[in-house]
Amino acid sequence: MKIRVPLALTFVTALVMIAVFFTPHRLGSYVQSELSDWMAVIGGLGLVLGLISLLQRHLRKIAHRQQDWPYSFVTVASFLLMAVLGVGWGVQDESVFNWIFSNAYLPLDATMFSILAFFVASAAFRTFRARSAEAALLLTAALVVMFGRVPWGQLLFEQSPMVAEWVMSSPALGAKRAILLGVSLGGIAMSLRIILGIERSHLGGDG
Amino acid sequence: MIALLSRRITALTVGLALLLIAGVSVGQRPPPVLPDDEVLTPGRPATTAEAEAPGSLAPSDVQAQPDAEDETGGVARITWLAPTAEPPPDQELKGYRLYRATGDGEFVGLLEPVTQPDTIEEPGQEPCLGTKVSDLWTWHRYRFKVAALYGPKDDPAEVEAKEGSRPWYMQGQPESEELGQWESAVLVTEELSESASEALQTRADWYRSERTNVLVGMLVFSLVVVWFIRHARSGKEIYIRPIAGIEAMDEAIGRATEMGKPILYVSGLAGLGDISTITAMTILGRVARRTAEYETPLLVPCVDPLVMLAAREIVREAYVDAGKADAYREQDIFFVTDRQFAYVAGVDGIMLREQPAANLYMGYFYAEALVLAETGSVTGAIQIAGTDADTQIPFFVTSCDYTLMGEELYAATAYLAREPMLLAQLKAQDMGKAALALLFGVSMVAASAAAFLTAASNTEAAAMITAALDLFRPQ
Repeated sequence: MKIRVPLALTFVTALVMIAVFFTPHRLGSYVQSELSDWMAVIGGLGLVLGLISLLQRHLRKIAHRQQDWPYSFVTVASFLLMAVLGVGWGVQDESVFNWIFSNAYLPLDATMFSILAFFVASAAFRTFRARSAEAALLLTAALVVMFGRVPWGQLLFEQSPMVAEWVMSSPALGAKRAILLGVSLGGIAMSLRIILGIERSHLGGDG
Repeated sequence: MIALLSRRITALTVGLALLLIAGVSVGQRPPPVLPDDEVLTPGRPATTAEAEAPGSLAPSDVQAQPDAEDETGGVARITWLAPTAEPPPDQELKGYRLYRATGDGEFVGLLEPVTQPDTIEEPGQEPCLGTKVSDLWTWHRYRFKVAALYGPKDDPAEVEAKEGSRPWYMQGQPESEELGQWESAVLVTEELSESASEALQTRADWYRSERTNVLVGMLVFSLVVVWFIRHARSGKEIYIRPIAGIEAMDEAIGRATEMGKPILYVSGLAGLGDISTITAMTILGRVARRTAEYETPLLVPCVDPLVMLAAREIVREAYVDAGKADAYREQDIFFVTDRQFAYVAGVDGIMLREQPAANLYMGYFYAEALVLAETGSVTGAIQIAGTDADTQIPFFVTSCDYTLMGEELYAATAYLAREPMLLAQLKAQDMGKAALALLFGVSMVAASAAAFLTAASNTEAAAMITAALDLFRPQ
């Protein structure tokens, strides 16, 4: 029962969604929109469970004074502060909640994002060592593209942007499309497995 | 199980075939003809017999027709003649409001006013105003009226009205008591047209005939899959090439067990509705079964609460199946946050503090992929990634020990389970790829031939080839 009901629901919903894809009738878009609303509602309920999980994990760490528990304290304190400010005084533009969000959260978020630049450099350094023929080819392609994307590259060799563009639009795009085709077919096959109930391990049963 | 599966496959195939047959027949059927008394006169005569009395403040001659460009059956085009009388000196025409009656019911005003109706001028016809109305159903008949809205002249609030806020409160209606909270509100007077439009019932197609090629492709691919499943059930062995990344999972779990350190499993940023996340969950089930056997801690930080719930259930089942229900720790599968880089910060912190021996990244990733994988690389963990996000594959290849690229992610569960029916699907995928490769080759030759024939002035043959190629073009 625990497996069969979700499988039956999956099968029926999949048939409905396939039919929606093939019909221009307004009923199709209406059904799609309704299902999206259901997903949003379920997602909202799930968020409550997620927050309970978050609090449980960190409160447990604080209570047992586990390693690095002060980080958990900061997490719980920040959570409670923002919840109280948001519920009590609103989240409009001039609110304290929004001020903290804009002046504390967003800069931290941007900082994490900016770290990416350094990681790209370290990853490139590690990867672009010509230890094999494939790595040498990769290094050459990367140098050609980088050369074509910087102003002095064009200054030294006028055709460099064109060569870089060719690398990106021909060999690179060809490889990318090959991967995408595989992904598309794999996605269809995986969907069929789920729709037909062959693949069921995501429901907690045997797959 | 097999009988149930056969029934499902049959139901799916029959459903799709019926859809195709119905689609082709509906797609070829001429549009149904309305009874004589319902036929709408296209266009508008130069002189209208049912025009309102001269000097009226209300619009007149309201007409409703199905929108010619709409195939959903939900849109109609309403036209009317503007009022002919001048408003009082302190008033001006602010716009129009449509009233709609369903069947023989009462007319109900639509909320949004029409402040800038289209002006329709056609040769030999009186210029009129018009707008489109959506949200109609094909099984109802609708009648329309139009009201002219008059308000104070030069009221600054009118500007706000044109910018799409909700400023319109009908004078005398209860909502007008709330005017205080709407700075842009305008008190208006309505002058409703006396006559209504003829009853309108829209029609829609039930089938997108331009997607027949997709439907045929789906049916053919499904039949290939079904054939391979039957082939697999007959007991013949199916060869699948080794995938290093999947084989390395056991090695990673063994290494973590030997070191007495946990395994970190990240299931990407997508929700449970995404196919890659479902795949990530199926792989998680397999990984959890092994970690249960070895009693190795498994950490699963989640970005989506629903994914967390699914992951908990899957891991719990795996531990129960392995006979290690007591070793299952629900608190090790937890929600971090639904914000991308906050999640990255949280997971990076776990990597640096807990020092997992193996990091598994399975699912759909965005820009966080490299930050996660590079941090994991710094901690010295063995890293295996699998994603169908083509933009992130290079980053994982760079920073991880093994990477499942694209479809290899989907193949992982079949590879791990080694079940004939799952392996049969992989073979069907390979057949699909071979068919596509063949199609590409043929298309390339055909397109080149079309170009050559065009250059040789044999446009008729070139057009035939182009038309044949268009059959495969997605719509």
